[in-house]
Amino acid sequence: MFRNFSRSSVRVLIASNHGLFRHGLVSLFKKKLGLKVEIVGEVTSLEGVIEAIAKRPVDLVIVDYDDEQLNREDFIAHFVSGKGQTRLILVSLSNPESAMLYDRRELPLSQFEAWFEGWQASAEPRPASFGEAGFNHRIRSNRMKHFVVASILVIVLTVLLIFGAGQVRLLPVAASAQAQPIDQLFRLMFFAIAFLFSLIVVFMLYSIVVFRRKKEDESDARHIEGNTKLEVTWTTIPLVIVLGLSFLGARSLAEVERPDPKALEVDVIGLQWTWRFEYPRYGIVSNELVLPVNKQVILYLSSQDVIHSFWVPEFRVKQDLLPGGEEFVRTLRITPTQIGSYKVRCAELCGIRHAYMESPVIVVSQADFDVWVAQQTGESTDPVERGRKWSTQYGCLSCHSLDGSKLVGPTWLGLFGSEVKLTDGRIVIADEAYIIESIRNPGAAIVEGYPNIMPANVGQDLSDERIQDIIAFIKTLR
Amino acid sequence: MKERVSLLQIGLVRGLFGMIVGVLIGLGLVSGIRALLGLPIWNPEAAWVVGGVFGTIGFMLMVGVLRDWIRWALGEETPDFPEADPRLQGWAKYLSVSYDHKIIGIQYGVTALIVISLAGLFALIFRTELIAPGIQFLQPQDYNTIMTLHGIVMIGGMLLGVGAMSNYLVPLLIGANDMAFPRLNAFAYWINVPAVILLVGTLFMGGLETGWTGYPPLSSRAPLGTQWFLLGVYFIGFSSIFGALNIIATVMKLRAKGMTYFRMPIFVWTAAATALIALTATQLIGLSFQMVMFERLFGMAFFEPAKGGNPILFQHLFWFYSHPAVYVFVLTGLGVISELLPVFARKPLFGYRWVALSSFGIALVGFLVWAHHMFTSGMEPYLRVPFMYSTLLVAVPTGVKFFSWVATIWEGKLSFETPMLFVLGAISIFLLGGLSGPPNGVVATDLHLQDTYWIVGHFHATMFGGFLFPFLAAIYYWFPKITGRMYNETLGKIHFYLMLPAFYVQSLGQMQVGLLGMRRRIADYDPALQIDFSHLLITLGGYVIGLSLIIAFINLAYSAARGKVVTTNVWRSRSPEWTLLPSPIPAHNYPEPIEAVGEPYDYGLPGAVYVRTASTAPLRDEGEAALPPDAAVAPAD
Repeated sequence: MFRNFSRSSVRVLIASNHGLFRHGLVSLFKKKLGLKVEIVGEVTSLEGVIEAIAKRPVDLVIVDYDDEQLNREDFIAHFVSGKGQTRLILVSLSNPESAMLYDRRELPLSQFEAWFEGWQASAEPRPASFGEAGFNHRIRSNRMKHFVVASILVIVLTVLLIFGAGQVRLLPVAASAQAQPIDQLFRLMFFAIAFLFSLIVVFMLYSIVVFRRKKEDESDARHIEGNTKLEVTWTTIPLVIVLGLSFLGARSLAEVERPDPKALEVDVIGLQWTWRFEYPRYGIVSNELVLPVNKQVILYLSSQDVIHSFWVPEFRVKQDLLPGGEEFVRTLRITPTQIGSYKVRCAELCGIRHAYMESPVIVVSQADFDVWVAQQTGESTDPVERGRKWSTQYGCLSCHSLDGSKLVGPTWLGLFGSEVKLTDGRIVIADEAYIIESIRNPGAAIVEGYPNIMPANVGQDLSDERIQDIIAFIKTLR
Repeated sequence: MKERVSLLQIGLVRGLFGMIVGVLIGLGLVSGIRALLGLPIWNPEAAWVVGGVFGTIGFMLMVGVLRDWIRWALGEETPDFPEADPRLQGWAKYLSVSYDHKIIGIQYGVTALIVISLAGLFALIFRTELIAPGIQFLQPQDYNTIMTLHGIVMIGGMLLGVGAMSNYLVPLLIGANDMAFPRLNAFAYWINVPAVILLVGTLFMGGLETGWTGYPPLSSRAPLGTQWFLLGVYFIGFSSIFGALNIIATVMKLRAKGMTYFRMPIFVWTAAATALIALTATQLIGLSFQMVMFERLFGMAFFEPAKGGNPILFQHLFWFYSHPAVYVFVLTGLGVISELLPVFARKPLFGYRWVALSSFGIALVGFLVWAHHMFTSGMEPYLRVPFMYSTLLVAVPTGVKFFSWVATIWEGKLSFETPMLFVLGAISIFLLGGLSGPPNGVVATDLHLQDTYWIVGHFHATMFGGFLFPFLAAIYYWFPKITGRMYNETLGKIHFYLMLPAFYVQSLGQMQVGLLGMRRRIADYDPALQIDFSHLLITLGGYVIGLSLIIAFINLAYSAARGKVVTTNVWRSRSPEWTLLPSPIPAHNYPEPIEAVGEPYDYGLPGAVYVRTASTAPLRDEGEAALPPDAAVAPAD
């Protein structure tokens, strides 16, 4: 109500149907309290009050509490709940020692005088809303000072955080075309995070340091309830930011998934706990993913058991492998841009050896790729060599060691011809028939000390000839 | 002569006995039926599942929580405000069924602290394993079990903590004498006990290896322990649903006279928003876990693609609950932050209505974002874009909260007792958690981040900032109200100053190794990633957090018995439980009805009143004032 501080007196409107009440109050204000009061009018109804206020702003409305023609609740609804600047007091003449103040509190007369004088002196700022004009100049300039200092600190901390983040290793090498738009977005987000973190934390720390309560100070802080304009601002700006960010995200996604019709096709098969890569164009089956540089590859991903996830951190992109055949095959496009060795790491928990479900990914020049294809397609004449190849490609070696160490399955070292103790108590000789059975029907004979977890489909994928090759290979492991 | 309490009068003891008997009956029943049908007698899956169900029923029957309902069924009368067992005194009262919301709240709280500690211990075990590459002492199978249990037991613990806060506080803050349904309230608490026993029991049943998300087909093949895990989560779901129903009914019907929705303490708003989520979403996780259970038991192929199922279906059902569930933990904590800030800043909560409505904004948007957990899952690719937009929208109401908090303390008169420290710490940590969210919410960057330690860091920051720190703040803040004694301020501050930096080291470390290629849920990592040192720091951070919590527990236990007696409004709060009630609070709370006559956070407005006893005679009669105070403000009714 102190829209204008140059005004020296409080403007009061009195509402009562009793002339005595009105005159009594006027003289009370003028003589007894000796306050600077300008009585702007005397009215007899709420409508009268509203009309009077519409003509000239009023600071205070005094209502005759004992006047039964006035509906007190209407007044309160209008002035207490309403947004107006005017305050309201209800005064009863039946007990002139007290007044009731209805700007959300009540006071006995003694306090009322203090309130009124404090108001008059305007030294104590009235309850104000944030950002609203209506407090004296000193406070306002102080407030600006705090705000400016904190804002500068926000910028300082933002710069420091961005600089600090630059000193820490945060992302692996970007080795694919898809990594470019993703890393661009990462950089943008790191900047935004640094700024927003600084914004909140600096204003918090500044408050903690500057606005701490003095010892022995039991008083409350200034009564600020809120500010709708500010709330709307800090709802709208983030809304625009997140919509913009989503838009950029969608654009990057389109860039990441942009197809090249001449892409090299590779089937990626995940199974507990190994990877198999098949190149249908060349008829190659491999346990390492060899890719030519700067050429898009489209991976057709599928799983033979549980869900796995294909992730090469240097390529950034990731896609789950689902079991279930044709319908559940998913694709992922990658264009390697840097020659080097990487690893595909299974990113979806898939059981005991999930941590070790990693296979080499080798990016080579087109010429080296052609050499590799030639090597792979030419089949060795040595069954032992072929056996070594099959056992690698089909993932046998992710569970069976060649050096005697105990993995999920029994080691192959010294296996052939040895005596094997089974969980059902039998002791058998590990001959050809035993090994064939163990591959074709893994659950039939379980070696003591090992779980029955070998997937049955391993054997279904292997031809009899290839199993013979593997046996030839195992025979050499002594 | 005081009667000696025998062990069998204690509900918990009887319940545990009932549970053992129930499990045995279940095992016997299955084996008996199989014997009659001529099948092999011992089928561990079926036997242990039925045993688990019967064990839970046995526990609930014997603990006595169904007693009044059974009496009603038989047409017997029960008292309106029944005491658990008048013979039980002191600690024994807390180990038996009680219908007093304050006792139930404390039961929730103490159980939460125990369960959270247990889950934290699991974390320290596997963090020790990860201190260096290679296997130190924990075989991968055991690693998976412990890691899964850390997740699910901690989620149980957080739900209990949320239950503790809302059960203890909501009736007090709205001026009610108890919850709307006291018996349902007791049921909702007690079913957690057998449920947690089932979860921990998985340790002795071959463990489990699925992570708390329990994705099939892995979970339909994983060891036997998985069944009790599914069953335990299923029963905890009952607790959430019943508890939420109770909170909503209480908030809607039991508010004091004059306490309109916009005059409720802000915590009540968040408790109501939380309850709305828990009431409507929990069914989905119960359903999805039940389907996996049936897939294993009966061969119903809901998710097994080889038999016509679809593994992605599970993920939709699961996350339709499990994403909003995150807001169940967080909203309650944010409510504590908003509730405590004005008290320690001596300033009104900035933009009360905006803060109140932002909780509902978060809750509602939270229902529309679940598939952001599935950007790499192989669902329909186009779906990722709309879910990206909806996900990032969560930032808007969350931002309103942050800005309003800062505006609340700006130009306040701040003091820094332990609860305030934890509130400020919570804001900074939740900020870190919130800001690390958009990179996961944007599809392109999430392709890199999904299922990495970045997610682990992000999630732990939101949970520490959104749940654990506010929970600890609430415990310290209401400790004098609950016990009538003050905690030790120095130990409280030591707790805070150990925990905050340790957490930052842990969480930032997790985010860094995640970006560099560390996957979630792996027992061992590739030394080639060169993340050993970060892992060492993360583990050390975890140890310091554990140490700080031990200090806190010592402080709380010692202070509850020997702390300085306080009965007054120690924080000079305006809230009804501090202004109108002694500490500790007597049974049935407010001896006379109260009414709200002003705004809850009018700090700095001299003479402003929020609540008072409704029966206060008009001031005129006391010769102090002329006007009956209720003449104007209270609407005529």
